[in-house]
Amino acid sequence: MGILRGKLLPPALAILFSALLCGIALVVSGANPAEAFGAMVSQVGEGTTAVDIVNSTGTYYIAALAVAIGFQMNLFNIGVEGQYRVAAVVAAVVGGSIALPPGLHALAVIVVAALVGALWAAVPAVLKVTRGVNEVISTIMMNGLALGLAAYLIRDDVFGELRGNNIRTPEIPESGWVPGIPLGSSGTVFGLVFLAALLGIGYWVMMNRTRFGFELKASGESSTAAAAGGVSAKKMVLIAMLLSGGIAGLVSMPEILGRDHTYNLNFPAGIGFSGIAIALLGRNHPGGIAFGALLWAFLDKSGLALDNVGVPREIVTIMQGAIVLSVVVAYEVVRRFELAAEQRRVGKQLGTVAA
Amino acid sequence: MRRRMRGIAVAAIALTSVLSMAACAKDSGGTNSGSTDNASGGCKLADKPPAAAGTSSSTSAGEKVDGSALKVGLAYDIGGRGDASFNDSAAAGLDKAKADFGVSEVKELTAAPNEAEDAKQTRLRQLASEGFSPIIGVGFAYAESLKVVAPEFPNVKFAIVDGAVEGAANVTPLVFAEEQGSFLAGVIAAYQSKTCNVGFIGGVKIPLIQKFDAGFEQGAKAAAPDIKIEKAYLTPAGDFTGFQDPAKGQEAAKGRIEAGSDVLYHAAGASGKGVFSAAKAANVKAIGVDSDQYNQSTVAESKDVIISSMLKRVDVAVYDYVKAVAKNDLASLPKVFDLKVDGVGYSTSGGKIDDNLKAVLEGYKAQIIEGRIKVSDKPTS
Amino acid sequence: MSTSTPATAGTPAVVLSGITKRFPGVVANSDVHLTVRAGEVHALCGENGAGKSTLMKILYGMQQPDEGTIEVAGRQVRFRSPADAIKAGIGMVHQHFMLADNLTVQENVVLGAEALHGIGGKARRVIQDLAKATGLTVDPGVLVERLGVADRQRVEILKVLYRGAEVIILDEPTAVLVPQEVDELFTTLRGMQERGFTFLFISHKLDEVRAIADSVTVIRRGTTVGTADPKAVSSRQLAEMMVGSELPSPETRESTVTDRVVLNVQNLGLVAEEGTRPVLDCIDLVVRSGEVVGIAGVEGNGQTELVETIMGMRRASHGRVLLGDRDLTRLGTLARREAGIGYVPEDRHRQGLLLTQPLWANRILGYQTREPVSKGQWLDLAGAKKDTRRIVEEFDVRTPGIDVPAAALSGGNQQKLVVGRELSGDPVLLIASHPTRGVDVGAQALIWDEIKRARARGLAVLLISADLDELIGLSDTIKVMLRGRLVADADPSSVTPEDLGSAMTGAGATSAAVAELEGE
Repeated sequence: MGILRGKLLPPALAILFSALLCGIALVVSGANPAEAFGAMVSQVGEGTTAVDIVNSTGTYYIAALAVAIGFQMNLFNIGVEGQYRVAAVVAAVVGGSIALPPGLHALAVIVVAALVGALWAAVPAVLKVTRGVNEVISTIMMNGLALGLAAYLIRDDVFGELRGNNIRTPEIPESGWVPGIPLGSSGTVFGLVFLAALLGIGYWVMMNRTRFGFELKASGESSTAAAAGGVSAKKMVLIAMLLSGGIAGLVSMPEILGRDHTYNLNFPAGIGFSGIAIALLGRNHPGGIAFGALLWAFLDKSGLALDNVGVPREIVTIMQGAIVLSVVVAYEVVRRFELAAEQRRVGKQLGTVAA
Repeated sequence: MRRRMRGIAVAAIALTSVLSMAACAKDSGGTNSGSTDNASGGCKLADKPPAAAGTSSSTSAGEKVDGSALKVGLAYDIGGRGDASFNDSAAAGLDKAKADFGVSEVKELTAAPNEAEDAKQTRLRQLASEGFSPIIGVGFAYAESLKVVAPEFPNVKFAIVDGAVEGAANVTPLVFAEEQGSFLAGVIAAYQSKTCNVGFIGGVKIPLIQKFDAGFEQGAKAAAPDIKIEKAYLTPAGDFTGFQDPAKGQEAAKGRIEAGSDVLYHAAGASGKGVFSAAKAANVKAIGVDSDQYNQSTVAESKDVIISSMLKRVDVAVYDYVKAVAKNDLASLPKVFDLKVDGVGYSTSGGKIDDNLKAVLEGYKAQIIEGRIKVSDKPTS
Repeated sequence: MSTSTPATAGTPAVVLSGITKRFPGVVANSDVHLTVRAGEVHALCGENGAGKSTLMKILYGMQQPDEGTIEVAGRQVRFRSPADAIKAGIGMVHQHFMLADNLTVQENVVLGAEALHGIGGKARRVIQDLAKATGLTVDPGVLVERLGVADRQRVEILKVLYRGAEVIILDEPTAVLVPQEVDELFTTLRGMQERGFTFLFISHKLDEVRAIADSVTVIRRGTTVGTADPKAVSSRQLAEMMVGSELPSPETRESTVTDRVVLNVQNLGLVAEEGTRPVLDCIDLVVRSGEVVGIAGVEGNGQTELVETIMGMRRASHGRVLLGDRDLTRLGTLARREAGIGYVPEDRHRQGLLLTQPLWANRILGYQTREPVSKGQWLDLAGAKKDTRRIVEEFDVRTPGIDVPAAALSGGNQQKLVVGRELSGDPVLLIASHPTRGVDVGAQALIWDEIKRARARGLAVLLISADLDELIGLSDTIKVMLRGRLVADADPSSVTPEDLGSAMTGAGATSAAVAELEGE
């Protein structure tokens, strides 16, 4: 019970608090909060929104896992944004230009995406290990480079092709598609949503059952203790960053292999940054991240309904920001409270504290 | 006869302006007998085009169309109504159509920057399932989503501005010859530049914006073969924030001004506001885009630097499209809204375009319409 | 400053009655009574984790008691923050100095108390006046970074005086000082005592308590056991009051030293990361099976670096480290551990433990490649838990279970866990840095016992300690370290702490028991 309270109370409080905050913002701006939230909830039942939420959750989940791996050892991979973009372009180009049997084709695209993501993350990792360059700075810069590189690669005189006013990479042939679960008029659930789930399970096993996960956790908790325990900080930085980048590379795979089959100008941006917020929200725990991703996706997709009731959709952004902020605060408060309670409990059991 | 008289009047104006900036007037003396009386201080101008035979197109106003059965839905691209650019232009067309045809209901939704594909689909679906028809997607970003959504609602009429959807019979493309209008903007810039150096600020480096770039360059070069053109794009393809970042626009404009440009043409959506501010701060001229920006309230504070705007008549397209739907006569719509149908053009609000320059512009316009000048939609660099 | 109004002889300076603090921690306070007479040095003694710090934090306003009252100079007070305590004339000198190195003495003193005397000449005059009382002779304009430890401590005292304190809490003030400096401190305290200041002196070094205190209150398991006259009781009696039982001693009687060399350090050198200054220079060191080699030295003379270089956490710039016949020089920390080195780091919080992780996860740290806690790339959680239970039992780690986070244990129990872990897996060499620093007497005895038992089994031990009694008692050989070099050998059977202290400060050997190593 105590554990559950420690884990669930903070996000619940935070969500409640930010809902309250947004409610106030709505009232101040002259809108009816109940109507707005009602519209958001009922939007889930509309059209393909429910399926969109599930799909989007998968995407966010992968991004947040990538961020969380870095967070485990206090590495701030701000570069997920760039890593998934470069990975998406290269994977789309490769996928569109090779011919392989079904299944194998998609697998090849996924592997390419992971490798490219890892490679893109390798630059800041190597810089950090050899030159001590702060990964926050280098990954942010790599994000800028990623945009430029992606824009270059899809030029119609490089790998891209012009479609009206849009440019895109050549379409991946059907052998490279990953079929989804069609739900009729409600839309189609991407097949690779399950990849996200698998990654989550793998992440849990890694963190809790493997030596590497232990070393990662130890490095994050106390770099000095890890060093004394024989964990090589440089090795961990390198591996964690590559792993993070590799997973980041997979972020756009559900969409590209499940729906778009190409990288085009409308490629969504900002998922990497949402991933940071979601990893914070989920406290790097695979379950927590899943919840955070779902919440994020819900806010994103059902927020479209706000236009219907004449409420500015930016309220969703405010809410997302407020949730992250208050979750961070709430966790810290609850963490201190829990530690104190734990110490008190130990003290009591040892009989050193007067009852 | 009339031209001659006008020429004299212009010569008088030119004289005063030459006096006031005598230091820059090194090229203005008699190298080109045909155009010594132009207002340019900096560039050696090419021969003027022959005069136009007279303005051709005119929208037949006053025609009574009943649109009271229509529920028109508009899905804007990022920026939406109030972007002081092409979304606003679409909004103007919608407003006019609503007033003229008595459209029963309109609904407008706006895209978020960098949103995912499914958000656009949801937006369109939402409009369609609420019974709106026609539904207009403003911006080529809606092409992919229309490809999915249009077949789901075969009885709903869709249109897409700046794009086309293959294989969907119920989607009408509303595309423009931006390069043609930009050509004229290039001519204006060349004639107004004193440093013989003009600048282009593109919002995002995508094919659509490169059409503006290409036309501008070609027009400026046609008017003044030696002219230098400084170009900048705010963001690379894939990052659409370049259309919404006045600060970036301002920085880029400053850079062009420092490089010597004294007339700036922007195709950067809401970022254009920054371009105008920079132009005002440095006391250089600017050319707006899409709507007649001289009269736009969002950029009113720097309106005096706006010498003209390249008009991309999204409003005309939207208006004409709604009208065509109301008349059930979609075939009457032009394939491309170009100079010929006044789908693109230039504005003269503010009085910075004198009659002489206007004549030059009409000349070029006629040549383009007649096909004697072909304007490319791909920039050379 | 108002030394002109000393509390009247009859009124105690501070009275704590019935203080109870249900504090989130292993030990809090329960019905504590403490009376400090004005103008005396009152020592507060107790094991680490007995509740001294909590009590002092309550008195200094950092925490509020759940029950009980505080009286200062006869008036009942209630402190909501240290600022309240300072207003009432209570000051505290923390064990860890809170000084800004790159500010001057004056700036450090005035910082945060600018309102009292400004920051200019007036403040300077007040400081100079007060400095005399503390025995600080340096100019207030000197940068703190240029001061030694003893002078820094005086600056801390000065800070407290400047803010008008008449009752001064000294938290383990001698922990950072060498014996000579301790004597100087005591002289200062006596001088200040004559001027009317009252001191609350927290320590677990009983000899010092007996040397300076006018009365001593012993605290055990959160409650006061009693107050005694230190002149009338022996250190041993005091200690027994603290632990409540017979006391062990660190001494190791019969030698178990063999001639089998386990650790052989040859000509080891280390250059500071930021520059060319050698931190370690020409270190030659041999530890044999069954031998405890102690390293004495004032902190900051290279002991930490020596240990971390031997452990592979720092890269030696020259020289070799051999374990048995095996050259470890190029290996990483993990490989060195696997080769059979157990390592009790000097700071268990920073280097020894993962504080928020459960005890069994801490068992894995440093052993993640070895049975019984892992198999290949996989952790063996069952094995880790089982072995943690063994350590908890064998080393008497007081904990309700092995799933509690390490942070929930008291310092002594944390250290027992670390020592237990580092003696697992049959090490051939144990490097123990300050193995009993900040632990209670009970844990200290147990750790000493375990080190002795392992030594008897043939373990080689490299012991670094600031506790000279511990060094002398446990070691078979003592080496003195000064400015990155081993400068002297001492024979633990005959050397006194004072002799060692002299050698540590570079004052030269004053005894036949310390042999200087010329020319090394």
